Amino acid sequence: MYNETASPVFRRQKKAKRAISLALLAAAVVFSVWYVKFDPVEFLSGIPIFITFIFADFLPPNLTNLKSYTGPVLDTLVFAVVGTFISSALGLVTAFLMARNTSPHPAVRIILRGIVSFVRNVPFLVWASLLVVIFGVGTMPGLFALLVFGTCFLARVYAESIEELDKDATEALEASGASHVQIIKHAIIPQFMPAYFSWTLFMFEINIRSSAILGLVGAGGIGSNLKQSMDLFQYGRASMIIVILIVLILAVEFLTQKIRERIL
Amino acid sequence: MQQETSFQAYPSSKLEKTGKPSGKKIRVGHRKTQLQNRLFFAAAAVLFLVCVSFLDLSWEQFTNGLSSIPNIASKVMTISFDALPDLTDGMLTSIIIAFLTVVISVVLSILLAFLIAENITPVKWAGRVLRYILLVIRTVPTTIWVLLAVASMGFGSMAGVLGLIFPTSSYLIKSFAAQIEESGDETIEAMRAVGASWLQIVFKGLLPGLLLPFLAIVSFRFEMEVAETVMLGMVGAGGIGVLLQDYISYYEFADLALGIIIVFVTIFAVELISNRVRSRLARR
Repeated sequence: MYNETASPVFRRQKKAKRAISLALLAAAVVFSVWYVKFDPVEFLSGIPIFITFIFADFLPPNLTNLKSYTGPVLDTLVFAVVGTFISSALGLVTAFLMARNTSPHPAVRIILRGIVSFVRNVPFLVWASLLVVIFGVGTMPGLFALLVFGTCFLARVYAESIEELDKDATEALEASGASHVQIIKHAIIPQFMPAYFSWTLFMFEINIRSSAILGLVGAGGIGSNLKQSMDLFQYGRASMIIVILIVLILAVEFLTQKIRERIL
Repeated sequence: MQQETSFQAYPSSKLEKTGKPSGKKIRVGHRKTQLQNRLFFAAAAVLFLVCVSFLDLSWEQFTNGLSSIPNIASKVMTISFDALPDLTDGMLTSIIIAFLTVVISVVLSILLAFLIAENITPVKWAGRVLRYILLVIRTVPTTIWVLLAVASMGFGSMAGVLGLIFPTSSYLIKSFAAQIEESGDETIEAMRAVGASWLQIVFKGLLPGLLLPFLAIVSFRFEMEVAETVMLGMVGAGGIGVLLQDYISYYEFADLALGIIIVFVTIFAVELISNRVRSRLARR
């Protein structure tokens, strides 16, 4: 539309560029399909099978014996609360050691950054199932997985928000001769509070979701009930658990939204 | 606690009389904010204590676990490169699953996003119903979608793609629609005024300008998708996760170490590339 005035050479170049990128994309798709032996026909016929599977085998949810779900649901909530708490405390300390403007020493900062980015970039279920090997099946590895992952995630986002803070307050305090600790207490923490609340609440939402899937590798919570009922082909029960999960996640999101509106 | 003593508690006359600082601290914080913060932390602390008392963690399990760490760590340290071909193959498969999912989802989402965006939707109520359906789809964790797909199609990368398509398209549709709502109003109004049809508005008016922002969203989602596919392998959807799960359950920690390093490097690289793509798109 805008190229009407542009020179024809430029237009031709742009067209060629677009053609090349489309061709590359097509080549990548073809290569991928060949590499994983992806059969489009089988895939397409799989979609109706999947949908009938969901509607015929899966729904309706099994409404009997509702009491048996309360334990796992409470477990999941407790996991998320405890995980969020401890990881927000640990993450806060790490973040202050890690952020450029509060770090005591550059070496500390670089080492912590390395560790945090390593843990964060390896998916969470990998850590969870490694912890299952270390601590055995049960709630403990699940909680620790949430802790390890949550701490690293929060340390990164906290550190980023600390680095983004206004420098004016810090400089003013520095000029009036405040110590390092005083600067952190009076200039950085008050400014950082809104970001802290908001990220911690977000972490709580993430933790609810994660503690729901932790059970799939044997780390407790409602996920283990889901896995169990899937393995036993009790699809009615499984779909009930999924429905409970949806309600739980939506309720938590609604709640954190309300808290956010009140606090911020 | 010194902050509790408020400045008003000391009448100015007293200060004038003595003429020197009283030694008490002047209250700095905003009172209502402080109160709110205290309330928040108090409520949180109570909740925390209740939850901790609810959890029954056994100390024995903890110490046993801790004592097994050095043993496992030493095994992890003897990193072996025997499994390198398998692992690269697995990693490539994971990336391909992510790539195919994103390609298919983008096609689906571009079509559906225009049905959902408030300012261009042809049927208002249908758009709204679809929105709620998508919300429910997005709420179910990705891993559970894949678990369902595996249950219906059997193990393999195809089940992975099928399972991932649902949350991925749902996310993309929502972000695309938000983008359309944010930037499309003027174009839509101008084109409506000259009598363009719905198809003309979408394909001639909106799409050309939206391609770059859409590309930024897609590159971000691809980054998430790669991390997601690694996990999905662990519930049986093909890719490197299957290998990692095997190594963990057969205690082959030397191979596992290499696997984790490969995963880390790949995800890190994907993140770097996608960041660069996005910053280049933003500069245009």
